[in-house]
Amino acid sequence: MTSAVQHRPLSASDLQAILDVTKALAEPFDLTTMLGEVVAAAKQVLQAERGSVWLYDEPNGELVLEVATGIKPVRVPWQSGLVGACARSRRIINVPDCYADTRFDPTVDKASGYRTHCMLTLPLVDHKNVLVGVMQVLNKIGGVFDADDEALATALAAQCAVALQRVRMTSALIEGEKMRQALEMAREVQMSTLPGTMPTVAGYDVGATFLPADLTGGDTYDVAMLDQGLLVVLGDATGHGIAPALSVTQMQAMLRMAFRLGADLETAYLQLNNRLADTLAADRFITAFIGLLDPRSHQLKFHSGGQGPILRYRAASGDFERFRPTSFPLGAMQIRALRDGVSVTMQPGDILVLVSDGIYEQENADGEPFGETRVTSIVAAHRDESATALLARIVAAVRGFAAGAPQADDMTIVLLKRDAPGLAQTFERRIDAIGAMVAFTDDAFERLAIDTRLRTRVDLAVEELFTNMVKYGRGSRAAVTLGLQAVDGGVEVTLIDRDVEPFDITRAPDVDIGKPIEEREPGGLGLHLVKRLADGVDYDYVPQTRESRTTLRFTVAGLDEGRRGSQGRGSHAVD
Amino acid sequence: MLSIEKGEDGNVVIAGRLDAAEAASAQTFLDRIDGTVTLDCAGLDYISSAGLGVLLKTQKRLLAANGKLRLAGLRPHLLDIFTYSGFDQLFEIDRAS
Repeated sequence: MTSAVQHRPLSASDLQAILDVTKALAEPFDLTTMLGEVVAAAKQVLQAERGSVWLYDEPNGELVLEVATGIKPVRVPWQSGLVGACARSRRIINVPDCYADTRFDPTVDKASGYRTHCMLTLPLVDHKNVLVGVMQVLNKIGGVFDADDEALATALAAQCAVALQRVRMTSALIEGEKMRQALEMAREVQMSTLPGTMPTVAGYDVGATFLPADLTGGDTYDVAMLDQGLLVVLGDATGHGIAPALSVTQMQAMLRMAFRLGADLETAYLQLNNRLADTLAADRFITAFIGLLDPRSHQLKFHSGGQGPILRYRAASGDFERFRPTSFPLGAMQIRALRDGVSVTMQPGDILVLVSDGIYEQENADGEPFGETRVTSIVAAHRDESATALLARIVAAVRGFAAGAPQADDMTIVLLKRDAPGLAQTFERRIDAIGAMVAFTDDAFERLAIDTRLRTRVDLAVEELFTNMVKYGRGSRAAVTLGLQAVDGGVEVTLIDRDVEPFDITRAPDVDIGKPIEEREPGGLGLHLVKRLADGVDYDYVPQTRESRTTLRFTVAGLDEGRRGSQGRGSHAVD
Repeated sequence: MLSIEKGEDGNVVIAGRLDAAEAASAQTFLDRIDGTVTLDCAGLDYISSAGLGVLLKTQKRLLAANGKLRLAGLRPHLLDIFTYSGFDQLFEIDRAS
């Protein structure tokens, strides 16, 4: 009764019937219509009373009767009965007397009141050899199904399988597209709550960035100047799909509202947690850092529900202080009494580093995570740069590390940097860099509010020392660091030259400026001028790093002394 | 940036920053002047030892041919540099301009 797939020649009228059916099968785009077409085609071509199509639901290991004339949908394990036997063997089964066959399950007949006499069960296998389902045709009009019907059914089944598979894949694509659009809208809502610009906070440099993952993610951040202080938030909602995007949006709105109503940090945190615990689904929570900075006292107080590590770069010691979360994730459960948050004093040059786990956990091609150390080394190495520049460096490093590996999660960084008393930048060891040094000095004078009357002297000192480094430090390829720091009544300028022999400007010979012109040479004049124009010069050499450090001080008082036109100053520090 | 060009009255007008990066172009220009020339420094913002070297070389060449370079309009914040380098003794400096 079980026949192998046959290759009997079909008659011209058979072929015509199948061609007609194929045309009909080319049209539908929805599954219900297609199933109807397939069953109608089978009934017509095979002259059967009824037909049904069981679709193979591979994930559930079931065969599903989606449509059959007059019969409700049914699910059966894919091993069960005649359909199961056909699905497993992928062979046509011709049963001339169903009630004589033990594999026949009369349940459907009982339910419908219809009596099945004979039945052809055929596998629907598409051109890629994927099992799409099983088709059954019942009760041949005026007899039983014969070998010719089997051949015809086999040819028909191939057409039906391909048509059904096309419709199933199309509808999967449409579902996917609908999901994508819904996700995109949720993401738009999520993004719209991010602050457009960073607030200006005297004495601080704040920067934040948010890089959404392609598919899903629930990061958010907020930085805003409120009556209570500078609000700093970084949050990350769990889960996939639309929900996390909407959860963090809700969190941010609740938080802003709480502060607008005058809540302090503790009340806002507690209320936010308890409201989220009420409203979020039982398996959802949000990890979040919520902090308030008083920019005048430099006190930063925060609570962190499951968000960490929280890092603070300490300028004074050059290391990182690492804080754990202060509590469990927001919304995980109700809080009755909130434990104390953490309070830190932001010292000059300190940097609060908040990074979402999308950064820490970004993997490279070898599956290695980006990790915390890479973040801290970038911050430490470029601590003197602006928050924006630091953000760009971290982002570039993560992107470079991933090297095209997919971004699995949102990436968010918030940096809060207390201004250092000074500014520094490194420059390439070439004369062309003078332009960039002048631009940096320009910016530093403005940011540090240094008296502009000192500008020419500082520019001259920087240029003379730098050109000297370029000329005589040819063995070194290291960049040169220029630092400016505001000091009482003036400015302190530091130039650091690395990987070089010591060169102590304070020991450089003075130029005899009284010589007649024929004997004057330009050599040595620059350093001579630097020593004359500076109010103080210090030199330091670190043999371990072969680092040459020259520190010069310029004051307005020294400038006034020069204005009196004296040719040399008895009180000069380096005379 | 530095600009250096012939003025209407035969003066040479120099403006901007005469630093190590600009010294070579200034030298090329000044190598082509002869006689007694006034360098109008009213627009000169900055000069370093590299710039002083350019002026010194030019002055030596002109003096040898009985000419000279006169500096006019030098702004106060640059006078220190001429004073501390002794260059105020090598050039006729017209401070009044």
